[in-house]
Amino acid sequence: MRSVRALAAMAALSVLTVSTTTLADEGKQGGILRMYHRDSPANASIHEGATYSVNIPFMPVFNNLVIYKQDEPQNRMDDIVPELAESWAWVNDNKTLTFKLRQGVKWHDGKPFTSADVKCTFDMLMGKLQQKFRQNPRKAWYNEVNDISTNGDFEVSFNLKRPQPSLLALLASGYTPVYPCHVSPGDMRTHPIGTGPFKFVEFKANESIKLTRNPDYWKKSRPYLDGIEFTIIPNRSTAILAFVAGKFDMTFPTEVTIPLVKDVKSQAPSAICEIAPTNVSTNIIVNSSAPPFDNVDIRRAMALALDRKAFISIMFEGQGDIGGTMLPPPNGLWGLPKEMLETIPGYGPDVSANREEAKKLMQKAGYGPDKHLAVKVSTRNIPVYRDPAVILIDQLKSIYIDGELDVVETANWFPKVARKDYMIGLNLTGNAVDDPDQSFYENYSCGSERNYTNYCNKEIEKLFDVQSQETDAGKRKKLVWEIDKRLQEDVARPIIFHSRMGTCWQPYVKGVTIMTNSSYNGYRYEDLWLDK
Amino acid sequence: MFAYLVRRLFLMLVTLFGISVVIFFLLRIVPGNIVDILFAAAGYVDPADKANLEKELGIDQPLVMQYLHWIGGLLRGDFGYSYVSEKPALQEILPRIPITARLAGLALLFSASIGIPLGVISAVKQGTKLDYALRVVSLSGLSLPSFWLGLLILTASVAMFGQMPIFNPNPQTWLEAFATYAVPAAAVGFRSAALTMRITRSSMLEVLRQDYIRTARAKGASDAAVNYQHALKNAMLPVITVIGIEAAFLIGGLIVTETVFNIPGVARFLVEAIRWRDYPIVQNLVMFIAVVVVFANFTVDMLYAVFDPRIRFTD
Amino acid sequence: MAAIDYDLELRRAGAGATGGWRRVMFLAQRHVLGAAGLIIMTLFVFTAIFANVLARFDPLTVDAAHALARPSALHWMGTDSFGRDVFSRIIHGARISLAVGLGSTALGASIGVIVGLTSGYLSGWVDLVFQRVSDILQALPLLVLALVMTAALGPSLPNVIIAIAIPLIPTVARVIRANTLALREQPFVEAAKSIGMSEVRIALRHVLPNTLAPLIVLATAQLGSTILTEASLSFLGLGIPEPYPSWGRMLSESAAEYVRTAPWLVVFPGIAISLAVFGTNLFGDALRDILDPRQRG
Repeated sequence: MRSVRALAAMAALSVLTVSTTTLADEGKQGGILRMYHRDSPANASIHEGATYSVNIPFMPVFNNLVIYKQDEPQNRMDDIVPELAESWAWVNDNKTLTFKLRQGVKWHDGKPFTSADVKCTFDMLMGKLQQKFRQNPRKAWYNEVNDISTNGDFEVSFNLKRPQPSLLALLASGYTPVYPCHVSPGDMRTHPIGTGPFKFVEFKANESIKLTRNPDYWKKSRPYLDGIEFTIIPNRSTAILAFVAGKFDMTFPTEVTIPLVKDVKSQAPSAICEIAPTNVSTNIIVNSSAPPFDNVDIRRAMALALDRKAFISIMFEGQGDIGGTMLPPPNGLWGLPKEMLETIPGYGPDVSANREEAKKLMQKAGYGPDKHLAVKVSTRNIPVYRDPAVILIDQLKSIYIDGELDVVETANWFPKVARKDYMIGLNLTGNAVDDPDQSFYENYSCGSERNYTNYCNKEIEKLFDVQSQETDAGKRKKLVWEIDKRLQEDVARPIIFHSRMGTCWQPYVKGVTIMTNSSYNGYRYEDLWLDK
Repeated sequence: MFAYLVRRLFLMLVTLFGISVVIFFLLRIVPGNIVDILFAAAGYVDPADKANLEKELGIDQPLVMQYLHWIGGLLRGDFGYSYVSEKPALQEILPRIPITARLAGLALLFSASIGIPLGVISAVKQGTKLDYALRVVSLSGLSLPSFWLGLLILTASVAMFGQMPIFNPNPQTWLEAFATYAVPAAAVGFRSAALTMRITRSSMLEVLRQDYIRTARAKGASDAAVNYQHALKNAMLPVITVIGIEAAFLIGGLIVTETVFNIPGVARFLVEAIRWRDYPIVQNLVMFIAVVVVFANFTVDMLYAVFDPRIRFTD
Repeated sequence: MAAIDYDLELRRAGAGATGGWRRVMFLAQRHVLGAAGLIIMTLFVFTAIFANVLARFDPLTVDAAHALARPSALHWMGTDSFGRDVFSRIIHGARISLAVGLGSTALGASIGVIVGLTSGYLSGWVDLVFQRVSDILQALPLLVLALVMTAALGPSLPNVIIAIAIPLIPTVARVIRANTLALREQPFVEAAKSIGMSEVRIALRHVLPNTLAPLIVLATAQLGSTILTEASLSFLGLGIPEPYPSWGRMLSESAAEYVRTAPWLVVFPGIAISLAVFGTNLFGDALRDILDPRQRG
């Protein structure tokens, strides 16, 4: 308690000194941002998690080498800015990415930051160190990295097996903070040490997460806030009510459903709400190694039976996006254009014509009005998974498929999928960066850990590598479209829709940027301030 | 008397041992463990990483070994570590107990201070419109799902006052501290007040029909004296018993209420720990609740014996 | 106090005959609340049995075009976010709630009776073991036990019924055991023994029927609370899963999202649950008065 007071006093002092130097139109110093958190994250280590429940509260503790510009809603390659790196360059025929590092940066425990920390972080991510992460979900991101070399304390190079322009995008994700070499992975889970604008204070499971201003932050005059406090409220209605009652300055980002946004606006008209794509796709995982979905006709029939507009109108009151693997334009950079999308089976506008075709395919496979196919639709016992599964089952009825919902508890979901103990499953795939390398390799390449369906097409896999090495953005886009189209035609993992969610904040919260093509990268919070 | 106490204490130990076995093995029957959940949060499964982690946490060992490890630790005062937070289990559980205890205490107080007087009135005015009205109200108290009642209270207070009584760990004013506990306690207590009222009413009615009450009336004692001096005192025994039982029963209501009002007490924590398959937390917490319940029952029995001379310390 | 002789009271009250229907009417007049409870319960059971006939729409059919429709002549209680008819879902939900209520009560009570009867009748070590087991079950919080059980068995209708039934067993067993112990000392049991009746026969023919009254009272009282337990489990995410239209889930899930924007989604399931529980409780109270006059109130 005493230390908190001391910190607060220190923060107050720094307000006095800074306010005399900052310009009037810039943000005001001070204040604690109060937010609620939708659930209690497993731990505080970003590298060991794959959910933004970890990113949001802990991204402010860290810095990356580079980061997507935090006040730009769309993540783009040319909006990547330096953070712990001062500059970077592609050398050696685009096979080496070299960073010049910022000097004089200190970890929150006072130790200096050097190139050794960068090497440590990425060596550990590649599994090259004795000390290992307990879990390492994004190891595959560094498949093309041979090794990391340092040149003195302030230069570090990523040496690649082949050119991979997208590596920079992966390094700019909120999922890619630099960890200190002198803190063990275990300690990073319970008490993370970073170089970022906020210091970790405490994490009480199921209760709260508290961060306080880092007075020694290398970026002068940042952050504006004295601290951030997350209260963990798993019950959504309680959380929203508390926001409406003014107990919180901001909701948990991209977690307010469309009906709830309406509700908030009606009860607290001054609140600012923004609805944006999350780059999370709802898709169907198909077990094509066992009957009945080993039959390509039945897979195609299922893809043809989908009425995507109905999904979107029920789930998002119309505000969702239809597309392939990549997030559709204009928010998505790589998504299939509408004309191309509509040529893919099942994406055509005439749903009843599609379903007639689907029925023919079903009849070809031996089913019909008198002989229905019984199918189990497995999904996790969470509304965002369960609700679309209910709609899917209803839609499959139109093509002689009698679906039965099989709800699976979180603990049993991945083991079940890994055992191939399902026919079809309703799944959500979040994309950390709006980049084909992340999406294709992670979800569709042979042997990838997150390729739940074990879809493996060597031919398409070759194309993954071709697009990945392409340095011409225009050419790469054409290739990506071609690949995406083929993945959909193969019914590898039919994409139903891309979701949109809302974020609300009180009018006095300034400097909020909701990213529109990823929900994993925009939480450094050094530019946020309170106009109170 | 002494032999009875020894026997009772021995049986309590047997019960506690049984509870430890039941909760331990019941948890192991539940499919999936903490490692599965951690990997679900990491979005992938790697069999080798998974095996490592299971080994690290000791959940790869034979069940009997795991059980002995736990009980051995308990006897030495070692409660183990939470699988999720990696902090000592005791450090996670202890600070949450007073929060729930305060809530439960207030709820029981609410239940007794509303339930007993209304029960007495209802019994004394048996058959009148007032009696009917009170019975209908108490029954409807028992008919509302408790989470629903809690949500209604929250929604109404936001709609009417633009404020809500949500938990505040560091209340600034006395009023705030009161709101933090009183409103949720009332939401839980409403239901048990209904129960208390019903028990009070029926036990009061039974006493009022006893011969000694009739005698007292025949001797010309005033209605008030009969009702409140003679009858109420004797009707209290079953009420005490029921309030004792309710303390255990209350946990269910507390789980739901702590969730709705977002109170970081042990009840909600227990549910979260079950969800995470955080064995050390669930096991120790359930044991703690069991100890409280077993001792509460013991105390109630003892009180009973003290209050009612007809009961002697035999079996 | 002795049991009330209703026939006597009936004559005293001036009723000319003691025929069946008049008797019922008399009881109904004496127990207005109980009669109201009986009507509600009958309505509830009737709805459950004839759900197929009464429902105007299929409770599972999704209709995106009519999602979140207000109550109207077509959709009496409006539609939910999937465009499913709320009235039809409530009607079908009565089946689920009845299945949960009756199923778990019957299951819990019948196991409880067997355990209580055996325990009370045999005494000795069997009794001691049963007593400990019931001590153990009673020291575990009911909802926690149900939570762990549903997690262990997986969320489905039969499993939820089992999970809710198990904590009922010790409560029932205790009451039956106490009654059995008392009955064993009764003269008619002694008499049966002396004419050489087998123990099992005595237990089933003489002891069991005499414990029925407290059993029925207890079971009716539990009926309502099992429905509420299911609702609480639903609220905690472990109730009866989709697509079954469970009142508990309808209420707990829509309460979160639609309490203000589409209140009909919250009001009607809430009324349905409360009314069903209220009815069974009213009826249970009256039944207790009639069958167990000692506890009369």
